[in-house]
Amino acid sequence: MTRSPTGRLVAVLLALVLVAASCSKRDSSNTVTGGGGGTGNNGQSSIDTSNCSVDPTKPIPGNTIRLVSSFPQSGLTAAFSEIADGWKAYFKMVNTEQGGVTIAGKKYKIETKDKDDTYDPAKTASNISDLVGSGSLDSVFGAFMVVGTAGNLAIRQDLAAKCVPDFFAATGSPALGDPSFPWAIGATNPPYTVEVKAFAEYLKKNKPNARVAVLAQDDDFGTAYIDGFNQAIKGTGIKVAKVEKYKPGAVDVGTQITSLAATKADAFLSGGTLLACPDSLKKAVAAGWRPLTYVSGTCASKTLMGLAGSAGDKALTTTNLEDPLNPKWANDPAMKEYRTKAKQYSPVANLDLTNGIVAYGWTQGALFVKALQAAKAPTRLAVMESVYNMNGVRAGLLRPGFSITTSQNDRYMGEKVQFGRYNAAKGYFEDLGSPEDFEGRTASITPKAVITGNG
Amino acid sequence: MTTTRASGREQAGPATTTPIRPPIDPKVRGLRIVVGVVAAAAALYAPFYFPAAQNKVLSQALYLAIAAMGLNLLTGFNGQVSIGHGAFFGVGAFTSGLLVVKQGWPYEATIPVAALVAAVVGLLVGFPALRVRGLYLALVTLGLAVLFPQLGQKYVKGSGGVPLLQPSLTDTKSLLQGLADDQYAYYLTLLVLVIVTLLTWSLVNSRAGRAMVAVRDQELAAATVGVNLAQVKVLTFAISAAYAGAAGSLSFMIDRVADATNPVIYFQRSIEFLVAMVVGGAATITGPIVGALAVVLLRRNTEQLIEGKPILSPALFGAALIAIVYVLPEGIIGGVRRLTSRVTHRPPPPSTLTTTTSDTSV
Amino acid sequence: MTLFLQQLVNGIGNGVVYGAVALALVLIYRTTGVLNFAQGEMALFTTYLAWKFARSVPVAAAIALAFVIGFVGGAIIERVLIRPVEEARSPLNVVIVTLGLFLGINALPQLIFGTDSQQMPKPWPSDAAPGDVVGTTRAVKVGAVSVSWAVIALALMMVAVCALLWLLFQKTRLGLALRAVASNPESSRLVGINAGLTLMLGWALSAGLGAIVGPLVAARSTGFDASLMQGVLVFAFSAAALGGFDSVLGAVVGGLVVGIAEALTTQYVDPLNGIEVLLPLLLILGVLLIRPNGLFGRRTVERV
Repeated sequence: MTRSPTGRLVAVLLALVLVAASCSKRDSSNTVTGGGGGTGNNGQSSIDTSNCSVDPTKPIPGNTIRLVSSFPQSGLTAAFSEIADGWKAYFKMVNTEQGGVTIAGKKYKIETKDKDDTYDPAKTASNISDLVGSGSLDSVFGAFMVVGTAGNLAIRQDLAAKCVPDFFAATGSPALGDPSFPWAIGATNPPYTVEVKAFAEYLKKNKPNARVAVLAQDDDFGTAYIDGFNQAIKGTGIKVAKVEKYKPGAVDVGTQITSLAATKADAFLSGGTLLACPDSLKKAVAAGWRPLTYVSGTCASKTLMGLAGSAGDKALTTTNLEDPLNPKWANDPAMKEYRTKAKQYSPVANLDLTNGIVAYGWTQGALFVKALQAAKAPTRLAVMESVYNMNGVRAGLLRPGFSITTSQNDRYMGEKVQFGRYNAAKGYFEDLGSPEDFEGRTASITPKAVITGNG
Repeated sequence: MTTTRASGREQAGPATTTPIRPPIDPKVRGLRIVVGVVAAAAALYAPFYFPAAQNKVLSQALYLAIAAMGLNLLTGFNGQVSIGHGAFFGVGAFTSGLLVVKQGWPYEATIPVAALVAAVVGLLVGFPALRVRGLYLALVTLGLAVLFPQLGQKYVKGSGGVPLLQPSLTDTKSLLQGLADDQYAYYLTLLVLVIVTLLTWSLVNSRAGRAMVAVRDQELAAATVGVNLAQVKVLTFAISAAYAGAAGSLSFMIDRVADATNPVIYFQRSIEFLVAMVVGGAATITGPIVGALAVVLLRRNTEQLIEGKPILSPALFGAALIAIVYVLPEGIIGGVRRLTSRVTHRPPPPSTLTTTTSDTSV
Repeated sequence: MTLFLQQLVNGIGNGVVYGAVALALVLIYRTTGVLNFAQGEMALFTTYLAWKFARSVPVAAAIALAFVIGFVGGAIIERVLIRPVEEARSPLNVVIVTLGLFLGINALPQLIFGTDSQQMPKPWPSDAAPGDVVGTTRAVKVGAVSVSWAVIALALMMVAVCALLWLLFQKTRLGLALRAVASNPESSRLVGINAGLTLMLGWALSAGLGAIVGPLVAARSTGFDASLMQGVLVFAFSAAALGGFDSVLGAVVGGLVVGIAEALTTQYVDPLNGIEVLLPLLLILGVLLIRPNGLFGRRTVERV
């Protein structure tokens, strides 16, 4: 190619750059303006709002609260989308039957918008930045029930800069209680470290000199179990016999189980999730190894335990919700409401009410409505403060005697757990013993590195 | 700006290593200049027109274009198929991530470092590629894309122990007065794309570029006329990895995360690069840019096409890919070329050779 | 020693699965010269069909039905989707089509059959206890080591398939035609082979084989969902590559090598915990550096 056209091209481009740069007249509503700085309760709030790019003390305009979410709706983890069916049904019920939720004397309808992120945190971040935009209250109040640890970590910083709340991150990771990110809070899932602390307490009472084999996923989820358990058994007679890890997404953990079974440990902490969990139970039985087994709370579902079948018999787990499969709750008012209303207001045609994650989603919707009602003003700051100021709040399918208590120093909601023992013939977990309560102690029983990543 | 060359495979007799460049019709040249200027003007003005979220999507298309351009050097021009360039992209993203988050580097300084580190990794992978060819090379690179997130999971700990690194908002702040962060990110990515495009253009039209093509078309013949096969292949591999690394580094600024939480994500990235390259037009200069835009737009639209059935979006995307390959077997650029030559009543240029596995059959 | 033997058996169990999927890959590569990324997903779809059929007919009959559908479906895919693209002489485009199929076919069973994990009835001896939907595979005790019937069945199936394929490729005119078309479609057309028909047959056979392997792999697993084949595919690719990609025996041996190596490193090499993929990768590189055409691949002479 000759020189002249290229030269001309460069000249034209340069001219265009100058023109473009000089007439920067993008719609000003999209540029973030500084400001805010107002504190809610006469400066008593311990949520720092001095750097908010959007004023969190501004009340919601009109009468609609707009929530946005992002979770997998296609790809291999698409099944997680059923959580949303639960909370969408709850919000629809509130909108229809009560005309919305009342905050400081005024009624607001709840509107939700969500996008598919295929469990890819980069996509979660894109989705949320798309949905939140500049953070104007006209388009969004806050993020709600974004699924997955990584996805929530990927969005919390940007949301924090705009002081847009990330309500009820759907994960049990203790990282979602990090005090340096007050605009993000986890859902009612018992933190993973609380789960293993409870198991350690159980062992102390029932098998004080247990040798425990541990199966864990090779990521932060598994690390929370391993490190949490190691801290929980410090100074007890309980020993870890061996730890085997498997990579996320694995469906066959036969080799890991053979290795663990060879230790002849008398207890087994199966930290696997998805298909790895029932497979670990089946392979343990196949190896002729029948230790006292604890399965991750993420495994306590109809589908996964159904896959394990008889191999899951007598396996322990912990929960804080009523199990829709357990006939014990048939006459419980909360369960009755769930059974009729979730079906009536379901966003999908064939909602599976016995699916635990639907019941979980329903409960988060109910709890959030409680938090909104308790807020002193229809502002982001006031609702966030309400979330951090729950004192014995009961909602949805939380078990009788279980409630949510939070404070500025305690950002974990699901700190009380009930043991269940799987009855394979009946196909559900039966309650075992009395609940273990770690209210306000999650931060102290969780190794610091599991919360912040450093330490 | 693009060049066409004769397909070595369809020619009998000794392979030509000089690209045959038919004289360009003045009408076509005029058209190209007009299209080029309009496109450049649009590219420069876009971030002032669109809101921040849209700019993010455009910036994603730009970094995808950079990575696809790198893959195009390797696969389109040099005939080595890689379905693992997502790994180099990841190397770039994590290099920037670790330097910014753990070492406190200014973000901009990490872009060349990310490209360099990716190039070194590419060099290491490229050496076995001397003996591992065609199909096997494709598989080794696939393994790389699967291995990378596992290494990340094992060795990188971000907050909460999650293998996810994130710049703070000040890390990626606009350094230019008057530009918002999203606009700055866009222009920075555009700048890298322009540099990389110019680099590709001069490389392809150099002696080295002709050697690359010769190796693709007739490897043995190229060797007999004195082309240093090993050097050409390994260097092409390294350069192409550097492009992907730079793209990964930019993604750290634009997506604001570098993560290894999803075991298939870097494989999916690899596929995206390949698709952008083929959809745009392999072995052309502008093809990867056009292809990247097409892929990003396609993806966004297939996500929202069927309300209430998001589960179908991958299927729609897959179907769209097959349809494009059907309608435009030479990619969008190839199709446009065919169209313009029909308009100007000239015989179409010889088809662009795309090459793959079965060329170096086992 | 028992532990070592048990891990060896575990490795063989996984290896047989890798080998079986590798076999389907090899079959399509050998007959059509295409690297089919959608192989696993095609098998996944027919696996779901077999699972659905097994609700009304015995599981063996269900698999047979799935085989027929897979066979016909494979032929249709070749004729409708692959051939027009292949005729445009751009092999890279064929790769894109198979990647498009990979994405497309993975989503279909989720839409049709839902996203929950399912259980495939076992076409081999199993015991059902209360709470079991399909029962637990029985195992044979050999000394202190237990060998699952699933592994025995998969191994027997492999032997049978290998024998049939060997007969087909080496002893029949059709097999000769298949091989000729794969290595040079133009010349084989000149000598009067119906290339179109044989290419179609290659895809049909491969998809059919997938329709048998898929349900067996699913039945061996505790449960299956749309991810059934994705975890296996990389290891199957490695197995095929180790074996030389055009060798039936190579695929089987490659699968066993990869499976056993994986199991033994899990047990004995802790630093590789979590990055097991590194192993087949190094194996492939190692083998290819010494034997550029794989363990069992044949040398090719390139013409200038």
